[in-house]
Formats: sequence, C-alpha cells, structure tokens
Amino acid sequence: MDRRAPCRRRAESRGLSLRVAVSGLGVICALGDTVDGVWQRVLRGDRGATPARLFSTEGQRSSLAAEVPDLVVPTEGGSPWSRTDALALSAARQALRAAKLENRTGIRLGIVVGGTTGGMYETEALLAKMHAEPSARVPNPAMLAHPLSATSDRLASVLGPFARTRTLCSACSSGANAFALGRAWLELDLVDAVLVGGADGLCRLTFTGFNALGAMDVGQARPFDARRRGLNIGEGAGFAVLEREERAGARGVPPLAELVGAGIVSEAHHITNPHESGEYPAEAIAKALKEAALAPTDVDYVNAHGTGTTLNDVMETAALQKAFGEETSRIYVSSTKGQIGHTLGAAGAIEAIFTVLAIRDGKVPPTGGLEQVDPACSALRHVVGAAAETNVRVALSNAFGFGGVDTVLAFAKLGYAAEQERPARAVWVTGIGSASRMGGLQWDENARLLEPQPAPSAGDPEVEDPTATLDLVRARRLDRAARLAASAAQLAWSSGNDGIFLGTSYGDPDASAAFLARVFAKGPRMAPPAEFPNLVPSSPSGHASIYLALHGPAIAIADLATSGEAAIVTAWELIASGFIDAATAGSVEGPSQIVESSIAPSFSDAAGEKRSEARRTTGAAVVRLTREPPPETAELVEERVIVQQVVQGATLAEVVGAMAPPFVKGAVVVSEITPAIREALQRTPWEKAQILEVAPAVGRHEGLGGFAVAAAAGLLLKGGVFSALILGTSPGRVYGLRLERP
Amino acid sequence: MDVAALQNELKSLIVKELNLEGRDPSSIVDEAPLFGEGLGLDSLDALQLAMSVEERWNVRIPEGPEGRIAFASVAALARWIVEHPAGDGPKAAG
Repeated sequence: MDRRAPCRRRAESRGLSLRVAVSGLGVICALGDTVDGVWQRVLRGDRGATPARLFSTEGQRSSLAAEVPDLVVPTEGGSPWSRTDALALSAARQALRAAKLENRTGIRLGIVVGGTTGGMYETEALLAKMHAEPSARVPNPAMLAHPLSATSDRLASVLGPFARTRTLCSACSSGANAFALGRAWLELDLVDAVLVGGADGLCRLTFTGFNALGAMDVGQARPFDARRRGLNIGEGAGFAVLEREERAGARGVPPLAELVGAGIVSEAHHITNPHESGEYPAEAIAKALKEAALAPTDVDYVNAHGTGTTLNDVMETAALQKAFGEETSRIYVSSTKGQIGHTLGAAGAIEAIFTVLAIRDGKVPPTGGLEQVDPACSALRHVVGAAAETNVRVALSNAFGFGGVDTVLAFAKLGYAAEQERPARAVWVTGIGSASRMGGLQWDENARLLEPQPAPSAGDPEVEDPTATLDLVRARRLDRAARLAASAAQLAWSSGNDGIFLGTSYGDPDASAAFLARVFAKGPRMAPPAEFPNLVPSSPSGHASIYLALHGPAIAIADLATSGEAAIVTAWELIASGFIDAATAGSVEGPSQIVESSIAPSFSDAAGEKRSEARRTTGAAVVRLTREPPPETAELVEERVIVQQVVQGATLAEVVGAMAPPFVKGAVVVSEITPAIREALQRTPWEKAQILEVAPAVGRHEGLGGFAVAAAAGLLLKGGVFSALILGTSPGRVYGLRLERP
Repeated sequence: MDVAALQNELKSLIVKELNLEGRDPSSIVDEAPLFGEGLGLDSLDALQLAMSVEERWNVRIPEGPEGRIAFASVAALARWIVEHPAGDGPKAAG
C-alpha cells in the first residue's frame, strides 16, 4: 500500500531548491496600471480616492471611491467581460511579461485567482430586475460574466492554457490566500510556476454594503489617524508569479523576493467584526514566521490590513504588539489603503506586491493620509508623510476578511531565511457528513446517497430538515446555505483547528438580487446591513467556521458544477503540502430561482449541453480530511479511507488516463452517469468497475460533486469495495479523486 | 402615540429583523438592555435595527452616544421614536 503523498519530493529529486521565489509582478489600481508607476505614487503617498464616476453615490455617506480611471473593458471574444476580468487580465499579463513567461513552452503554469464579486457590476441591474419580475429569470448570456470563476476562465482563454486553475474567496483576504495555495502547488510539484493574485471591480453591491455597515469614511481614508472614520472602497488587481528560484534564474529573471511563510487563522468570532483582542491575527503572524523559522527580530516592515475603520486599526495595533512584543517599536508599519483604497478581494494580493517591492527597494511606503496618530495605535512605528528608507530583510503583509479569516504572508530577501523542509503527508478521510433531502447523514450512512431511490416530485416536503439540530440562537445569522453547511460539517465531526473549504458554484445571486432591488427602489439608506455579509461567496464557510468554532482557513471555492470537487482538492493540497493538518471540505448549494432559471441554463447553452430539466434542490456534503488518523480512531484500522490521488484536467480522457488502477475491487462514483463518462472509462483499468451515481432522491444541483465524494467514502467504509474513483465534470474542467481503503 | 402599542410593535420588529427565531416578542422586557447582556445583540444588530426603525417610522437613530441612549432598551427606543417626529432626524446621521 503506497501511503506517500503523490508527487511530493519530485522537485527535489530534480535538484531544485525548496525556495519559492517571486519572479514577476503586475498591478492595476486607482494609482495606475504599471508596477513601478503605482509603486512610485504609493511611496509618495498619493491618494487614489476621488468622487466615483462609475455609478451614482447619491444617498451614500461617501461619494469617494478609489476607481481605476478610464478602464477599458473589452467586448470581443463572444462572452461578456466584467471590469474584474479587465483588471485581472491587465495585472496577470504584466506579471507574466515581467517573469518572461508570456511566450512559454514546456512550462506547467498554474493560476489561483482570489476575488469577491466577479461580474457583479455588469449583472446588478439584471439581477434586480430578476428579483422583481419572475418572467425575467430566463437564460441570458449576460449572466456568463457573473460567477467568480468567470474571471479565471477569461484569463485561461487569453493567457492560458494553464496546467491548474483555482478560484477562491475568503472576502478581503482572498488575494493573499491565493499566494498560500500557489505555494502549495509548487511544493507538491503540480506546477512549475504559478500566477497568484486577486481581482475585484467596483460595484454598487459592495459600495452600498460597506456604507450600510457604517464602515466608510466620508472623506479620504486615513488609517491609524485619530480622526479616521472608515475606509474608501477601491478596485484593482494584483498578480505575482511564484516559482522555484532556479527556474526564474534560468530564464534570466532575477527573483525579487522569496515567499517564506504564510499563516491563515479563522477567528470564529463574528461575521463582520474582528475580535478586539487581536489574538488571531497575532497567531497568523506567529504561524507565518514559524514556517520560516524566523523571529520578530528578523522583521523590518509590515504592510498592515489597516482599513481605517476605528475597530480594525486598534485591533491590528494590539495584534502586532502581541506578535512582536518588544520589537514592536522597531518594526515599520504602514497601510497603503490610504493610497489605493480597500480593493477587497484584490487587497491581499496588491499589498503583498507592495511588500515585495519594499524588500526589493529598501523603501517603506507611508500610510496615506496619516497625520495625527491615534493614541490607541501609537505603539506602532508608523510611516508618516514620506517613505522611509531602510534595509528590509523580512516583511509581512496582513489581510483580514469577513468571516474572520486572517491571513499573513511573510516575504524575505532571497536566501535570508533558511530553507525549510516540510514532511510528506498522506491525507485521510476521518469524517463524512451530508445534509440534504435525505436528511442528515454521518460517516458510513453516506453510502445511502448511492442507493437508487425515486427522484423527489415537485412540491414534496423536505423529508426531514437536516438543519433542525442547529442551535437557533447561535444560528440566527445563518441563511439556508450556511445552515446546510454547518449541519454537514457538524455531522463530519469538524472541530478545533480544521479549515473549512466549501465549493459554491454561484454564491447566492437571489439574496444579492433582493438586496440590490431594495437599494435601487428605496435608496442606499435602506440597504440591510445584516444581510450584506451573507452576499459574499464565502459566507457559508465563514458562518460554519463561526458556528462550529473552526480556527483553520475558511475559504469558498467557485468552479461551476465542480465547485465541491475543487474545494476537496484544495483542502487535500494544503494538507498534503504540510500547510494545515485538517480541513472539512465539500459543497454547499442553497436555494436559488435565479441559478435554476437563468444562470445554470445560460452555462449549459454556452457549452452546447442539454439544459437540466430537474427541479433544483439544495444541500451540503463534506468530508473531513486529516493528515493522519486522530488518536481516537487510530486503533480502528479497518475504518480508514485514504485520498490516494487527485487529478485536475481539461478532459475526462486526461484525468482517467492519469489515474492509478483500482486496488482489488473498485467503483466509479459520479454526480450523474453520462455516456461521456462510460466512454472515458473504456479500455482503462477502471473499465470493469461498477459505475454509481448520486441517488435521484438527493435531488439535482451544482454541489453533487461533494455528495459523490461523501458517498464514495461511505461506500468504502461499508466494505466490499476497496477503491473508488470520483469523477466530476463541468464545462472545460474535470476532477478525479481516487479514494482507497487499505 | 400609544407607547405600549409602539413597544409591542418594536418587539415584533426586533424578533423579525434580527432573526430571533423561536423567541416570543412579548417575552422581551421593556427596560432590559438590548445589547451586550440582556438580549445579547451586537453592533451589526444595531445597524440593522436602525435601518428598520427608519424605514418603519422615518426616524433616524444617530451613531455614537446618542444612538446608545436610543438603543438602551425597548422602552428607550420607543421614547426616542416618540420624541423625534418623522423626518426630524439629523440629516447627516448616516
């Protein structure tokens, strides 16, 4: 039985070092669309917030936005572009050019895109109309730009092909988390180089949402200033190329800095407010430094999250003091959100880029607008007015998001930190949970998800509400999707420092539509503040993390109808690479008339596929993955399932072809059996395996991939079958996971 | 305005707007603190409640110390609404 984490150590066997170099950068924001142009303006302390031109801000507390001036959104290529696409393309192309990777051959290039709104701006008016008029909920090519994953697909079509693609959201830490995942891909030798970053275009939804939360300054933002009132919303994109240092050198590209550590900690506290103690960001800093065996004495600069809200800046001051102790007064800290605004899903990436530039140039930017330091923030060594010149050996970039996902990236001068080797790891399934029309199922009960039962007829009541066991007081802020997610995760015995990775195909367009319709009809003052955080795609993962007190990364993955598979693969990558020890991962789909009637059939039409005729249902299904069996189940040797292999590709033939043969007796588990899947298995070692599909009784929705994995793991536990191959397909992407029972 | 009726309406509004599922509105004590202890509401609830009150009675509840007085309890909130006729809120409250 081969228990090695597949593909790890291959890089080393080829004589490559473990160092992850940053070899190319690209940025676009209110201050420009070139790295050096933006950087010079950031160092000067220029301010990017001006009266918004993209849309009316009447009735909002602020009219300012850090908007990208004269952004040209292309129209060619058949499918609609979003501002987010245009921003992402600009930054990603710059980064590839800088790394001399634009025209490449024989290099496996991957891409990880973080974001929060995708094509929201372009579809806002249509969504509001769909909310008001059921007759408007029809397939419409305009909706193809809506999902978060549309931006990754756009970049693949223009800059690809990519060897591996992923789209993630953890609200305002999304862009930073892309770096952590890209690094894991390099460590697992899944790619030779990876573009990592984030992109978010301005839209009325987020502008109005932050306005409703009272988080916006009426004037220009001034983080850490005694007179600060909040943030300015910005837009932009930032991408970096990460690769092994020798590879960059071989192309004549000097590495700019090294990504030496990352720490992601969920506060599990509140959906919008940070925990005042700052203990969780401090823990994320400690994790990032520990990965690189560095200490606060090595750190010379921190690019703070520094939003300019009263709460964040005081909390972050406390966090930095907790993390740095006596070193606090020595380490330069600045927030560049005073210059470029809060670029949300892009912020973690753009600010990571500034952090790399600070190391490259030995220059630390000032905090834009900071004049009178708030006494509550005075423990820090602020950069006021002019940039500071200093040798920057190690610098940190902080990014904190809704749902309490605190991410810290640590960069260093190349070679400053000692090379760190992390142990190879196998990934085990140690919990399974699903919440659907078949009720709540745990552990091997999930094999029932494969027993053929009739499809539910329209109007059937949900058999037994799987969320009925939730504590209503603690669950009051959880919408249906978040409740299903929390229920499934609870059934999978999620706990402690688990991460939670939930695939969600399109987020919650109906709730966004309702929010927008209300704002358009009644004005921004009537935007419901408590509903806004539920409109971010990472709302179910964030809420589940809070409800179950899970302190690992809480991240949403968007990948059309293979979002669940993509989420489980993401969790596997982060555990196998040694970044985290445990995660709950799967899919969640809440109710949505707009997905059923408009978005899903629009994608079917675009792919030339038959539209689904089944009534769309809801559900969540997850597996808990851990690096090793926990002590309480260690002696139950019989009850083990190992995730032996994960493959991501563009076609079924590619993915099936890469799969190892079944062990003794195998089964293939899919969301729905199609002729293409039967054909792909012919003349392969899996040809004789039984093919099973998720029971019609579960219903039909985009999250069935999570159910297929949960069911397959349950089937292996039941016995009789020793290998299961789960295949998930949606237009342009295929995932394969091979589970085994020793 | 009938204060008792107003207080009852506020209690129903709180239960509905803040998703206090299963909570009987009449069980909310007039003078009990809404935030922190008492009902256990937080700043996000305050924002949501302020919006709902403004929508229903066209009365703005300011941020800061004045807002904290208004949000002290159901009784205090009712007093605020009675003492601040419709549309009389500070224009730049938001």
